[in-house]
Amino acid sequence: MALNILVVEDSSVMRAIIIKTLRLSQLPLGDVHEANNGQEALKVLDGNWVDLVLVDINMPVMDGEEMINRLRQNPATADLPVIVVSTEGSETRKEGLLQKGAGFVHKPFTPETLRDAILRSLGGSDEQKAGDGTF
Amino acid sequence: MSKKLETELFRAATLTFEEMGFLLPTPEINEQQLNAQVEAAVSVEFEGPFSGKLLVRVCGGLLPIIAANMLGEEDAPSKSLQYDALGEIANVICGNMLPGIAGSKDVFHVSAPKMDESMDLPPVAEVQVGLGIGRADLLLFVTRYPALMEE
Repeated sequence: MALNILVVEDSSVMRAIIIKTLRLSQLPLGDVHEANNGQEALKVLDGNWVDLVLVDINMPVMDGEEMINRLRQNPATADLPVIVVSTEGSETRKEGLLQKGAGFVHKPFTPETLRDAILRSLGGSDEQKAGDGTF
Repeated sequence: MSKKLETELFRAATLTFEEMGFLLPTPEINEQQLNAQVEAAVSVEFEGPFSGKLLVRVCGGLLPIIAANMLGEEDAPSKSLQYDALGEIANVICGNMLPGIAGSKDVFHVSAPKMDESMDLPPVAEVQVGLGIGRADLLLFVTRYPALMEE
């Protein structure tokens, strides 16, 4: 099954890095959507099937935390897997995100770190899913 | 200037330039690096238990190199992408520096990077990092919680 992923990040360079990392990760990728902020992301989710969201925290217009709150309040997206990709260093804030069911990848990250977080977020062991790229 | 603040700023900067910009900091700054002209500056503001901003200046032709390295491209990308890349570097340095100064419990809100090299106050910490043919200057300003300046 191909994974449709939404990357929500206000830096276009960082979006490009994340997407390049995804393409190198041996994950079975389908469509990769992009959004500049949480508000744009919610519009993308309205019109597209997405399996996983990668989201930054500090963004203009609507930040990642607010976007996750909106996702969790909507029955259609309440269980959507979300991974926060951020420089956030506060354990208090990270615990809050964890309680909302989000995974966390700290910037700067290695391709392996991001891939492993995605595999954990989607369930199952890293070894099971990374081997042949199938789900 | 606070030694602790400078140590944290230098640690966060070298980690970020190495891991995101694929630029290895030189152990010392040579004359060529020292004389390199400033080519770009961005700043990120933060608010939390103390507030302020981090200013990052790059000198000596580093701006296109950082962007190309981050994107894994041979050629330099557009000017706007070069500034975007530098902004993300500043954002990551700031995000990695703050817990080192404040501890891991405190929450900070970091604003989007902007092209701004204004210095309304004297910096509480200032470090230089030698990177290949150029250097990066990092200046930390604190507008609230002046006790930090005396640590």
